[in-house]
Amino acid sequence: MIAVFRSELLKQRTTRTTLALLVTMIALVVFAAVLHSFALTTGDLATRDGQMKVFGWGEIGGLFAGLLGAISITAEIRHGTVRPTFLVTPRRWRVIVAKLGVGALAGLAFGLIAEAVAIGVGSSALSARGISLQLGSHDYAQLLVGGAVAAGLWAAIGVGVGALVRNQVATTVGLFVWLLFVEALLLGQVPDAGRFLPGAAASALGGATITGQVRPPLLAPMIALLIAVAYAAAAAVVGSVATVRRDVA
Amino acid sequence: MDKQPVAEVRALSKRFGEVVAVDSASFALQAGTVTGFLGPNGAGKTTTLRLLLGLIEPTAGEALIFGRRYRDLDRPSRKVGAVLESGDFHPGRKGRDHLRTLALAAELPESRVDEVLELVELNGAARRRVSGYSLGMRQRLGLAGALLGDPDLLVLDEPANGLDPEGMHWLRGFLRGFAAQGRTVLISSHVLAEVAQTVDQVIVINRGRIVANDPLTEITDNGRTLENAYLELTASEAS
Repeated sequence: MIAVFRSELLKQRTTRTTLALLVTMIALVVFAAVLHSFALTTGDLATRDGQMKVFGWGEIGGLFAGLLGAISITAEIRHGTVRPTFLVTPRRWRVIVAKLGVGALAGLAFGLIAEAVAIGVGSSALSARGISLQLGSHDYAQLLVGGAVAAGLWAAIGVGVGALVRNQVATTVGLFVWLLFVEALLLGQVPDAGRFLPGAAASALGGATITGQVRPPLLAPMIALLIAVAYAAAAAVVGSVATVRRDVA
Repeated sequence: MDKQPVAEVRALSKRFGEVVAVDSASFALQAGTVTGFLGPNGAGKTTTLRLLLGLIEPTAGEALIFGRRYRDLDRPSRKVGAVLESGDFHPGRKGRDHLRTLALAAELPESRVDEVLELVELNGAARRRVSGYSLGMRQRLGLAGALLGDPDLLVLDEPANGLDPEGMHWLRGFLRGFAAQGRTVLISSHVLAEVAQTVDQVIVINRGRIVANDPLTEITDNGRTLENAYLELTASEAS
């Protein structure tokens, strides 16, 4: 099992996909944090909740972690490397478990980096405007730890969904559509149900939503953690079972 | 009595919806032989090889390698090496890194990666990304991956595709040498002239059924060429 895990880790390091996702994510976080730091009025940014509209953008890490997880399996299917992979490790669930582990680790790192960049860029930009920071150490801790854990779980969800859907374009477009539109719409219109969705639960972990807006109906972090873990576990099980049961063309 | 066959397929069937891809196929491979697996496109060659390697599940029957299902083999890459498609690589990964990922999962030392690269004469290109490889280089890289575990059985689907005459000559020599060590090769191919120079046993599949399983010398006795024999075998079933 450790051997399969090390193989998956090497796969992540030997294409340019991981780096490309990381660079794109950082650029997007910088862009969003700088934009909101300067576009919002000093009135908007006077409170802690207002400043979360800047700092909350670190949760983009979750989306990119989900993409990383999804691509780790769908790229193998797309390029045919699943065949040699499953020939070497015919107990296919081991490959999925290793991808879940490596994905979760990389996702944690993505989440932590995204949150750190948002905090660093946001606090510099607000300071440059002469706005005093209203976040406490607890807020920063929740952004960093919660955001990292949320991204780690999103990477696992990405692996599970990718293993189930298999088609790379369908999986990645589906993740975008789900997080950016379906969940945002449901959270806006039916928040009592929407806040239990995986993206909203992951957002609640870090203390903000994917749109960078703080919304009152978000779940308490501990409940959000349980729910996000449940979604990740469900995706992992469904993806593993589908991979073991289905033929490899 | 024969020794346990290296690989054995018993009443193997695979149905995809309405289509019967493999229809109660049975054959066995004996150690030290090179077997050519022939048949028209869509006859069931690729499906049979994937059934043998546990990538797809049979509808009926069984496929065994050294007496076990592929997925029940302990450290399968040390017993079986296979190349099923000529392009099963991530284009952005270097050839050597591709082999390293397989060697890690198979718990083989990294020194084996360099050995197989040397064996298939790909050292020069090993540190380049696969996107820059010719088809022949990809075939060699695939073969290198199959050979990592120093297996006793080699399964190759259309290995001659994209090889130039020199590469073809090299592959033929390699496969004969492999079998001369008492190891076993199963290759599917459309290049009958090449097969006739390489194999000692011929299995022909047509519409999912095994229509011939004989030594090459028997198939080509009475002066028939392999091509004539093949066309007869596959035409009679189609009518």
